[in-house]
Amino acid sequence: MKRVVALAGRPNTGKTTLFNALTGLRHRAANYAGCTVEKAIGTMQASGGEVEVVDLPGTFSMLPQTEDEQVAFRFLSECAGSGDDLLVLCVAEASNLDNDLVLPAGLKAAGYPVALAVNMIDESRLNGIKLDAAELSGRLGMPVALVSARTREGLEKLDALLTPPALRADLSEAMDFRRATKKRLHELQDEAVETARTASAASVTWPHRSVLPTVARAIRIDRVLLHPVAGPVILAVTMFLLFQALFVGARPVMDFLAAMLGSVAVRLRAHLPEGAVASLLCDGAIPGISAVVVFVPQIAILFLMIGFLEQSGYLPRAGAMVDRALRPFGLDGRVFIPFLSGFACAIPGVMAARTIHSEKRRIVTILLTPLMTCSARIPVYTLLITAFVPLSFRPLGFNGQGVVMAGMYVFGIVMALLLALALKFTSLHELHPAPATVLPPYRVPSARELARYVWARCWHFLSRAGQVIFTLSLVLWALAAFPRDAARLAPIEAELAAARTSAPSDPGLERALRGRLAAARIEGSVLGRTGRLIEPVFEPLGWDWRVSIASLSALAAREVFVGTLGTIYALGGESNASDGLVVALQDAKNADGTKRYGLATAVSLLIFFAIALQCMSTIVTVRRETNSWKIPALQFAFLFGLAYALSFAGYRLTLAFLG
Amino acid sequence: MTLDTVPLDIPVRVLGYAAGLGAFEKERLAGLGLRPGVSVVKILKTPLRDPIECLVGSQLLAIEARLLPHIRVEAA
Repeated sequence: MKRVVALAGRPNTGKTTLFNALTGLRHRAANYAGCTVEKAIGTMQASGGEVEVVDLPGTFSMLPQTEDEQVAFRFLSECAGSGDDLLVLCVAEASNLDNDLVLPAGLKAAGYPVALAVNMIDESRLNGIKLDAAELSGRLGMPVALVSARTREGLEKLDALLTPPALRADLSEAMDFRRATKKRLHELQDEAVETARTASAASVTWPHRSVLPTVARAIRIDRVLLHPVAGPVILAVTMFLLFQALFVGARPVMDFLAAMLGSVAVRLRAHLPEGAVASLLCDGAIPGISAVVVFVPQIAILFLMIGFLEQSGYLPRAGAMVDRALRPFGLDGRVFIPFLSGFACAIPGVMAARTIHSEKRRIVTILLTPLMTCSARIPVYTLLITAFVPLSFRPLGFNGQGVVMAGMYVFGIVMALLLALALKFTSLHELHPAPATVLPPYRVPSARELARYVWARCWHFLSRAGQVIFTLSLVLWALAAFPRDAARLAPIEAELAAARTSAPSDPGLERALRGRLAAARIEGSVLGRTGRLIEPVFEPLGWDWRVSIASLSALAAREVFVGTLGTIYALGGESNASDGLVVALQDAKNADGTKRYGLATAVSLLIFFAIALQCMSTIVTVRRETNSWKIPALQFAFLFGLAYALSFAGYRLTLAFLG
Repeated sequence: MTLDTVPLDIPVRVLGYAAGLGAFEKERLAGLGLRPGVSVVKILKTPLRDPIECLVGSQLLAIEARLLPHIRVEAA
């Protein structure tokens, strides 16, 4: 029999801060069975032994509406039925007891053992509110502790509530919410509202002001931050800074990590004999580690900023500002941050969807976020645009290549909004999961809470998605490295060995031979053979086997497309969009002397990469965030099909109109 | 009268919900604390004029404009 303390309460009551204060860093994240709702589980030592603490999703009333709210009630019923020793610790905001006491009163009436933590007592003191804990306890019939989880004030009193006697409760009469009728829940809610009102009236002395100081301050700030002109400007500047931080702030750290791991691979290769082991370590394992850790700076910066905006109280206001514009597409203001983050990288964007409480809306956001033009697409777009959009193309006098690049960003947004419209006609659509939202008072974020928040998100990514991304990187390496066609490789290896030992050394020749060796290896590998095998599939898009292989390998990460094409064109792995590969693609010819690639191929590739979910790390992250392979599988298949169809149309139309 | 007809910064008291408001919205509004007897002040319109920021009891709510005609109120 486990001893469980379930933390319940409305959103913005400081529930998670209290959870962190009780459990320290001894907690982990999981998902409730059968859904995407995250369950935070921690442990704490109460006198008598270890207690499991569960941070339930925020719940507004006894009438659960969203999946998150239903999960909270379902958990309590399952816990009561399992024979676990349960205590529901309800968290209420001291300055909002009229509303926050409804849930504890309702759960108590439903037969659950409930204790109450009246949180943010420091803030209520500033508001001039006086609370009589003994009176409140007597009226509600449950133990009450006045605490401030932020300052840790009163936590010792809370410990006293969580000692064994309070936990040994009789749950035989507890209501099973899974079977409760709507009518019974309404009755419970009405009773709880009345109990909360009378308990609050008897135990709370309000100041002689019509509006609480924290609320009055929030209104004053809102008159600026939500001003018809200043509001959008401030929002745009805030989002611009967030975007800049993601791109500019994270980039040096990402480059440093990639360069450091790259140099480790180079040094290791110099000390290892040429062969499968060296290739496994230098081409498989180290790039696999790199593919995971390079995302951490972006995730850390994004969640630092999201945490700051959320804790300060600005995030729900930012959502409210853009809510109206997104509503016609079946979306709401809370998809704004995930979408914006998706421009840097889909992974933090998908993870940012956690701030959305409604499960269906969260899944829609996760499905659409990868359509935002992430930074990994930029090398692919740059290569194709530089190679195939002529410099003479100057619409309205602007640089045509720049216009096409900007157009790709717009294309991603338009596709996401069109698909959002289409999703309105599916079971994933909710009319509006939150027709009204709470705008909490503005608060100064706590550095400790922010650090915990960022650490939890980074660790979650490293420990859950990271393992799978690393494993899949190794699988992709193996597919590109085996089988080794010794008969084909031997002459090139012999030439390379001779070039290395010859004096004077010729670095240019060595590089060219290494390039030929890499090209020969990939051509003979499973990946290379698969590329040839699937060539007929992609032929209608204007792709040959080389582009097909590069697109397959881009499953590891979109930018790998450029490197693989460079390898295939035997450029020694040192090509980039600005030199050899651009020329190689422009000059590539078929056996009959015709150009291998043209503008039509570039259009089809641009469309394909804008839509297809060509990113293994994103797929794994979606799987982790949705707790299911079904959603990423459907997402991959649908986006692939759509990308294929539109690429085909783009290819044919370009051929027809532009030749 | 209904909340949509009340000017900004004028305190009123909630009487109930008008016909036409769905059960989901009723439950959500009640769960958030917008219940009969509670005082409401419309504070401001967000930049796109929807949602509307309202002071409901001692908390601030952003309420979709389409819901306001369904909230019956009286002068406080």
